Amino acid sequence: MNDFSELETELKKLRPAPVSTELLARLEHALAQSAATPTAGLIPRRTKRSNAWWSLGLGLTTASALVLVWLAFFAEPPPAPPFVAPNATVPAEPLDRGLQPSALTRVVYRQHDDGLIFSPNQSELPLRRVRYNTRETMQWRNPQTGASLRVSYPAEQVVLAPVSFQ
Amino acid sequence: MESARPQDDWQTCFTQLGPALLLFARRWTNCRAEAEDIVQEAFVRFWRRQHSIENRALLYATVRSTALDRLRSDQRRARREAAVALDGAQHLEPQFTTVDEGQRMLTAAVERLPNEQREVVILKIWNELTFAEIGQVLEISQNTAASRYRYALSALKKILQPHE
Repeated sequence: MNDFSELETELKKLRPAPVSTELLARLEHALAQSAATPTAGLIPRRTKRSNAWWSLGLGLTTASALVLVWLAFFAEPPPAPPFVAPNATVPAEPLDRGLQPSALTRVVYRQHDDGLIFSPNQSELPLRRVRYNTRETMQWRNPQTGASLRVSYPAEQVVLAPVSFQ
Repeated sequence: MESARPQDDWQTCFTQLGPALLLFARRWTNCRAEAEDIVQEAFVRFWRRQHSIENRALLYATVRSTALDRLRSDQRRARREAAVALDGAQHLEPQFTTVDEGQRMLTAAVERLPNEQREVVILKIWNELTFAEIGQVLEISQNTAASRYRYALSALKKILQPHE
């Protein structure tokens, strides 16, 4: 570019023709009009304040939508009330928390021998099956209050005993 | 980020930049009145959008887009102006204030340059834009702007050679 430095210097000495006073007057008038009616013809730049309010509204809307989605899909349902059988005869609370087991009796009132039992493939030794019909009685007692509770029920017990042949 | 600027100093800015803006606008018209209309519309648009006056590239790009919009709005005028531009016709009204014969010859040589070279010279010499800014204004690459500038200076030197 050194070849052109003298030429550039000469070019810079040239002064562009000045603007007319009429153009200055027109500009002054146009800018004054634009200050009075800022929306005439051109869209004015938005102020930062209006942008901030717009952003705040959008943010609140988004947050509300997220909360609704979370409540709809992820929130745990309220705990269900405990299920109570409609015909329950067992009281919800024990009659007496101080009861302690005090006795257990088992009375065999019948014994019946079913005989030998063989496995289908004869691979195992035969078994003798004996049935015992019993009545069991359980008793609880509260040592502090003297209260007692007794439960009696029938039961059947089956015993399989291996048989050895000699 | 553009810096803030006082709102009442447009006259100072325009007094400084106006002649070069007008010279640039003459690229699309050989009529001074029309060039002034372009500059007025572009400067008002630029000023009302509160751009920094330091953003020269944007200011000249606004002048360019305003000029192109006006040309598109009047196809007949556009064809006429394009024909004038392509022919490299001499401008009927003076674009420079010349003081001697040497400057008048230099002015004539500048006006003989092809449009795409003359506008780069105008932006570089009298508007003091960088090649990057010129590329931004004219929507060309920085290298293309630099190349056009070198071609323009070479052409000017060739034109002026017999008289030196």
